[in-house]
Amino acid sequence: MSALLEVENLNKHFGGLHALRDFACTVQRGEIVGILGPNGAGKTTLYNLLTGFIPPDPGARIVFDGHSLLRRPPYRIAALGISRTFQLCRPFAGLTVLENVVVGALGSQRERGADLQARGRELLARVGLAGREEVPVAVLSYGDQRRLEIARALAARPRLLLLDEPFAGLGSGEMADLSALIRQVHAQEGLTVVLIEHKLREFMSLVQRVVALDFGAVIAQGTPEEIVRNPAVVEAYIGRDAEVAEAAHAA
Amino acid sequence: MLRHRLDLAAAAVLVGAMAVLPLVFPSNYLIGVLTVSAIYGIWAVSWDFMSGLTGRENFGHSLFIGVGAYTAGFLNTSFGANPWWSLPAAMVVSVLFALLIGLPTLRLKGPYFALAMLSGSVIMQRLMLIFWEHTGGEEGINGLAPLIRSQLGFYYFVLGTLVATTVVLLALARSHWGLILRAVRGDEATCQAAGINVTFYKIASLVISAACAGAGGAMYAHYQLQVSPQLFAVVTSITIITMVYVGGMGTIYGPVGGAILLVLATELLREFGEWRLMVYSCALILILFFLPTGLVAPLWQRLRGLLRRKGKDPLVPVAADVMEQQA
Repeated sequence: MSALLEVENLNKHFGGLHALRDFACTVQRGEIVGILGPNGAGKTTLYNLLTGFIPPDPGARIVFDGHSLLRRPPYRIAALGISRTFQLCRPFAGLTVLENVVVGALGSQRERGADLQARGRELLARVGLAGREEVPVAVLSYGDQRRLEIARALAARPRLLLLDEPFAGLGSGEMADLSALIRQVHAQEGLTVVLIEHKLREFMSLVQRVVALDFGAVIAQGTPEEIVRNPAVVEAYIGRDAEVAEAAHAA
Repeated sequence: MLRHRLDLAAAAVLVGAMAVLPLVFPSNYLIGVLTVSAIYGIWAVSWDFMSGLTGRENFGHSLFIGVGAYTAGFLNTSFGANPWWSLPAAMVVSVLFALLIGLPTLRLKGPYFALAMLSGSVIMQRLMLIFWEHTGGEEGINGLAPLIRSQLGFYYFVLGTLVATTVVLLALARSHWGLILRAVRGDEATCQAAGINVTFYKIASLVISAACAGAGGAMYAHYQLQVSPQLFAVVTSITIITMVYVGGMGTIYGPVGGAILLVLATELLREFGEWRLMVYSCALILILFFLPTGLVAPLWQRLRGLLRRKGKDPLVPVAADVMEQQA
């Protein structure tokens, strides 16, 4: 294992709000890492910084596979092999399901000349959307839109997949399906996955390592079992999210 | 590119009718009306390629038209250049203006691009009046040489250009390029996350759109044999947008139909005399109110569906059909 993503000294101020505080983290190749934190802890800000949608405060170091990501526009970061999904599904309205996935592959240099239609169909089959290729995205259910987001993100053949609250708004059956899908792409393609979540149960069984955030700062890192026993994490969560206590018992 | 034999047949019938009409009813008036409708077709289709697909409305297409026409005017009269130089020169100058406005404003979200195009056309119209010593002021530039002496020959040249422009833009719109432009309309951030340089695609599309509009402007100048500041008028831009709406935005072929339909309608309504504008406006409002997706393209899609069922063609849902119905 070697480091795929190294982040050091990452800070972001929005006016007076210190949204992310001295964030540092190393993601090894082939890992599934979870970013845990209550609402407003800075999780989505972290993704926006990593993918170039917002610039970090000066002094940060973000290195992906030997390339610094600083001052690169989002499309260049994506071209290096980082795909992300959004917390609120953002499919391309007005396009069909298949077209959405094809667009996901178009920005990737690696896909030049490939049969994108065939690959798109294959990806859709994998996420469980076979037979819905020609349907306009607008008619998809929320859970299906989530699957589509992941198919679109995978279409670019990323090396690092950043999932932003993939379980938000899903029923428990859908969550289990999605977990299975994430495990499957991780196992089959050796894909490195980082996911943000505050739904603990699904999350804990899925990730190998957890980085816990609160008020923009890392409060703990470790295996899921260590995290749910960590006093700082429990303190950050108790009273705000009863699920943590439940998960701690389950673990 | 034309997905169905029926599309090809309909396009052939329309182009054939446009070509044969002046032979059946030989009149300079009819040729004139058809020439103008074909030029408007070029303007409408070029507007739709950029704004219809990406959803970034351009409220100043007349800027490119006027710039192209004045380029033709100056080259032909002040420098005595061969009229055929007007077309490439007009395209180059229009592209420069497209870059001037597109480079700073198309990186931004919000209404900046639409507003910059609108004000650009208004400013150019004023500049033509302010520098009247060079531009001829209200009078404009007169005495341009025609591109082709025969009126019918020139009409066929314009019609050929319209067909070629539509075919090329339709092919582009149905390629991955067009898919990206439609995705930009859907969500710019997701496009960027997918590794697509959104700004590049928007500016490149504007450049293509401007080149076509500028060439159309030069043709119009060599048809009228004069240019005037009126070419920059906002009303021209609005007319073109209306044609695109009536045609069916984002379908590329629809706006060509919309342009021809509206130019012909304007002429047919002449018998209403002073009521003409009123009848025309009311008809437009009704169309836009009851048919928000337009008239020409949706109508053709219906007709095609009916013909297909009659011809016992297997009714397979095609991705682009769904897209068109949605658009």
